[in-house]
Amino acid sequence: MPVSTPTLQALVPALPLAAAILTMLLGRRLGHRAHLPAVFGIAGAAVAAVMLLLSTHAIATHEIASHGADAGHGDPHSAAAAFQTAKRFDSPATLWHWATIDEAIVPSPAATPPGTPLSAPNAGGSAAAIPFSIPIQLRLDPLTATMLALVTCVGLLVAIYSIGYMSHDPDYARFFSLVALFVFSMTMLVSATNFLVVYVFWEAVGACSYLLIGFWFRKPEAARAAKKAFLVNRVGDFGLAIAVFLIWMTYGTLNFHDVTLADGSLQPGVLGVTRLEEPGRIVGGAIGTVICLCLLLAACGKSAQAPLHVWLPDAMEGPTPASSLIHAATMVTAGIYLVARCAPLFEACPGALVAVSLVGAVTALLAGLIATVQNDLKRVLAYSTISQLGYMFVSLGTGTLLGFTAAIFHLVTHAFFKALLFMGAGSVMHSMGGVIDMRRFGGLRRIMPITAATFLVGSLALAGVPPFAGFFSKDEILASLHAKAFPGGHDGHHEPSTVATVLQPVGFSARLAANPTNTPATNWLDGLDRPTVWRAIWWMAILTAGLTAFYTFRAVFMTFSGPERVPEEAAGHDHAHGGSGPHESPPVMTIPLCILAAASAVSGWWLFSTHALSDFLAVTPSLAAPAVAATAVPHAFHVDIAIQGTLAAAIGIAVAAIGHLGRRSDGPQMERFLGPLEWLFANRFFIDQLYSAFVVKPLEALAFVAAAFDRFVIDGTVDAVGRLPVAAGSLVRGLQSGLVQRYALAGASGVLLIVLALFWRLRG
Amino acid sequence: MILAAAASSFTVSPDTFGLLAPEIILVAAALVAYLAGAFAGFRHGWLLAFAGIAVAVVASDRQPGEAVSSVVCIDGFASFVRWLVLVTGGLLTLVQAGDSRLGIRRPAGTCEEAGTFLLLLAGLSLVVCTNDLVLLFVALEMVSIPTYVLLGLARQTARGQEATLKYFFLSLVASAFFLYAIVCLYGIGGSTNFADIAAAMRSPDGPGRLVATAMLPIAIGMAMAGAAFRLAAVPMHFYAPDVYEGTSSPMAALLSTLPKVAGVVVLARVLAIAGGGGAAAATEWSGLFWQVAAVLAAVTMTVGNVMALLQSNLRRLLACSSIAHAGYMLVGIAAAAAADPGEIGGWNGIDGLSAVLFYLATYALATVGVFAAITYLGHRWPVWTAQEPRPPREEVSTVADLDGLSGTNPVAAFAIAVFLLSLAGIPPLPGFWGKFSLVTAALEVDGGLAIDFSGSRAWFVGLAVVLLLNAAIAAAYYLRLIAAMYFKSTDRGVQADGGLASGIAMLLCLVAVAMVTFQPGGLFQAAGRAGAAGKEIHAAVPIVPGEQAGSLETASR
Repeated sequence: MPVSTPTLQALVPALPLAAAILTMLLGRRLGHRAHLPAVFGIAGAAVAAVMLLLSTHAIATHEIASHGADAGHGDPHSAAAAFQTAKRFDSPATLWHWATIDEAIVPSPAATPPGTPLSAPNAGGSAAAIPFSIPIQLRLDPLTATMLALVTCVGLLVAIYSIGYMSHDPDYARFFSLVALFVFSMTMLVSATNFLVVYVFWEAVGACSYLLIGFWFRKPEAARAAKKAFLVNRVGDFGLAIAVFLIWMTYGTLNFHDVTLADGSLQPGVLGVTRLEEPGRIVGGAIGTVICLCLLLAACGKSAQAPLHVWLPDAMEGPTPASSLIHAATMVTAGIYLVARCAPLFEACPGALVAVSLVGAVTALLAGLIATVQNDLKRVLAYSTISQLGYMFVSLGTGTLLGFTAAIFHLVTHAFFKALLFMGAGSVMHSMGGVIDMRRFGGLRRIMPITAATFLVGSLALAGVPPFAGFFSKDEILASLHAKAFPGGHDGHHEPSTVATVLQPVGFSARLAANPTNTPATNWLDGLDRPTVWRAIWWMAILTAGLTAFYTFRAVFMTFSGPERVPEEAAGHDHAHGGSGPHESPPVMTIPLCILAAASAVSGWWLFSTHALSDFLAVTPSLAAPAVAATAVPHAFHVDIAIQGTLAAAIGIAVAAIGHLGRRSDGPQMERFLGPLEWLFANRFFIDQLYSAFVVKPLEALAFVAAAFDRFVIDGTVDAVGRLPVAAGSLVRGLQSGLVQRYALAGASGVLLIVLALFWRLRG
Repeated sequence: MILAAAASSFTVSPDTFGLLAPEIILVAAALVAYLAGAFAGFRHGWLLAFAGIAVAVVASDRQPGEAVSSVVCIDGFASFVRWLVLVTGGLLTLVQAGDSRLGIRRPAGTCEEAGTFLLLLAGLSLVVCTNDLVLLFVALEMVSIPTYVLLGLARQTARGQEATLKYFFLSLVASAFFLYAIVCLYGIGGSTNFADIAAAMRSPDGPGRLVATAMLPIAIGMAMAGAAFRLAAVPMHFYAPDVYEGTSSPMAALLSTLPKVAGVVVLARVLAIAGGGGAAAATEWSGLFWQVAAVLAAVTMTVGNVMALLQSNLRRLLACSSIAHAGYMLVGIAAAAAADPGEIGGWNGIDGLSAVLFYLATYALATVGVFAAITYLGHRWPVWTAQEPRPPREEVSTVADLDGLSGTNPVAAFAIAVFLLSLAGIPPLPGFWGKFSLVTAALEVDGGLAIDFSGSRAWFVGLAVVLLLNAAIAAAYYLRLIAAMYFKSTDRGVQADGGLASGIAMLLCLVAVAMVTFQPGGLFQAAGRAGAAGKEIHAAVPIVPGEQAGSLETASR
């Protein structure tokens, strides 16, 4: 008997949650079998998620075909057909309603014309009393189905791989419980169809991440890294909270989807098809831009974009399976998901879109540069993750359908090859007795051939070498960017220089008078939406592509090629476990590597050539919205773009080969080559120091003052006030004499007092 | 004419018996329990009581949504409160059944106690349903007298008997006060029927008008005194710590919940008669009412909380806490009295009376839960060496007795922690939603949520601030208990010999608390409907006394 779709939807988060609770409760009794609940729970979730993906895909294909035929269009992939299909995905499965309030005062969306200024979101009595509740509902559309499958499958790999990796850890059970809890939170996050629920699980994911980074909390660096990740993420969470408030004030609802109220009227959701269908019902202007920028801030926190990227490299202090897979392949995609989900909101605010791309481009370049001088293998990969996420943001910021789908495409392929690379790094680390410094490795390909081969596949994919996965997804990103940067092909018309664009605020008063709903700041942002800026982003992206290839292969060459060098810890490590010298990892670790290597090799070509993913994603309500769908372009392979991308990669690999292949390249060459830049990169552009000097230190000073003030002034007062109730208590206790006649007398006096007071009130 | 009206209200129409089916069932069960205990040697009195209550719940569930006979009025308010009384009563039965195993009392007495408890419940249920001052007084006494008996049976030690006597004497004083209020109300309305009195109060030139000027302050003051004793509110709160400490934990559970229901009902009824209805003439009366209630609320919660800070005995501490909770409930009563009736249910549909009812339900769950847990824990393991004679068993009764409970009995520790956090009003537990609705109701008085401090608004903003400050003070002693359980260690555990039934009661309370935590909506809505009904029935009464009796009678058929 087939299981119904809502049941499957509920099973996806429910199984990992059950596994987490079970492992938490039974942890110690399960002993070294503690992985069983998590592995089976996540495996069940993965099966359910894949079934959902397949069924959603079948529905999407079938509906597109029928709607295309109904409309009589020749092209079944027309925007209209896609939108008709998207309507099918706008009804979520309801689990229960929480915090029901019968007559809540809700800002009436009807009273909020598009572009109402921020200063008076709902002035006057423009509020309606309607039933309010927070629905715990699960949505299912192509975007969610894709994310669910990705999260559960990567989660499953983490769980399986950790059986081997964590086998010697005393807190074996705690780890698996946290991984399962993380998968639960993440699946709920991508299934949620209400901004408040998104916020809840956004926080839950952050909490899981905190616990996983600080898994070895007895290690001071791990505890510090966990704290840092949490605090930096809080900045982003603050943005999300503000965004949720503003959405509530602006739209009067927090639901993504349309809701039919008890009285039969339709309450259009923020991202529901009713609102998407009518142009102008998405609020743009100043308030729209502020909402989008707040969402961007949230996404920057979770997806480690500049300037909130500082937590991710430190997050590598956690156990490798967690730090790599969760923080590289899964959790950090939450920001990408959020922006893609809110695509129609961003579409209404060109300025916010440019901001997304700019943040992405700056991050990609910055992280790429830092990665070139890192000597810690995991840190190289961490910066590479930041850089690739920046790529995805660049793609999202183009605001075209191609851009959104390309970002998700890259997200999927990146999940494959980044998981592969991290697990390869973990395999190296596991074998080398916990050493991860590349300068101490060399020629490991002879010791661990499977790890080396799969790592190479992953590197080729990351570098964007055809025909590996990364090439195709990166190519789509570059194509979407190219369309923005060179609107008329290569011979675009003349544009004012970038400097003039950036200095634009000078000429604003006129525009401000014309459109009072906009503020200078948002106008300035909107003014950035011009090919010159996009061209700058384009060149940053190309440069990043070259850097990516360079640092990836630098790592490959330093670790796996050249004369064999093994750190001495490796031998000691193996003595402890009865092994004989450095060794290839056990099959439980290498088999996932091979699976991922195969996926990294072929998934890109397959998804690119069949357009399976992009066509599928295009029927997500958010992406099928007319505003987004209007930007669609026919699928095409741009040879010139592909050549530019590949060339950049080739140059990067070549430089890496010249610098490191066959030599003992410990860094002096790099230093000579880069000169003072190396110092800048190695110190990570001093961003951590800047935070330290301008945020942490002042706050610490403030905290010191506050602590002193608290101890001497507040505590003194509070202690005094605190003694007051106690003193009052002793006073009252004096009355509590235990003598019944006194009680009666006191009671009667009290009543007399009341009556007298009443008479006095009545006369006065 | 006054005499005629009075005479008509004393007649009892036959359909009254149908409406009182649950009470009749409870009394019948009580008689069965007495007889079975005395003549058949039956020992499972509490089982019988539980069954009787279950049948009564079913019977009350089958009653019409709204029906009025001459002395009984079943409306949304009465149904909700009666349901609350019966459910609490069922839980208390389980707690009491646990206590009988403690060996302090004769097991053979369980049937007497169970029967007496059933009579108490029947009386309380009658308090809820009545529509007549005389029946109200009788019903209140039907609550008080079984309480004396139960207190006397519960603990036959010197402290226990002292507690019984204190309760008895002070309860009599309170009853006398309330009787005075009844007399005054009769003097004003010329009738003992609520509707008649309300109508007389609202008639601009009725005979009661002149008398009211002199009598209403006395009536309100005395009624407040009568209710204050049952709520354990200032100035009639003195008995609570002594009595709770002296009696058994199950009896303390009973005292801290059931009489409070009676107190709230009395206040709600007097409020509905004296002015909540909103007719222009009644506004000044309600003004008197809410100002007294507000002052009493502020004083009561503060006194209760500061007293609780100093207590080391568990039951004494919880007694002080129950005084404080009475103060919180009075905030809602004050808000209900002051609210503009034209705007029932403002910001979130919770008016003062609904908030009080919701709060009462959440409070009862958590309080019964705590006492059930303490009953369940029973005694501590004594520490003695083999050479010495075994020391006497020591009941869990002080805060120090809870030290390290999380290690020795984690389930009970968790349950107690949840109940205490709920009482402290920590989100998202039911107690939080209760305080939330009380504060909301207070802030809604006279002008929604606008920032405006004029008239009654300033009073209620102040009251809300006092409530929140008190919640902070209260958190101190609740957390002290939790800290004792979780952060201290002990070398002697608890025996957990309080019996299976009290353990089940504890778990049932925990489940109920969890349900309200995750799904507060249902209880919110039920309380909201009940609160609205609690005002409406009296507001709807026609002005002319002669007509309304007939019209209500027809409405009931």
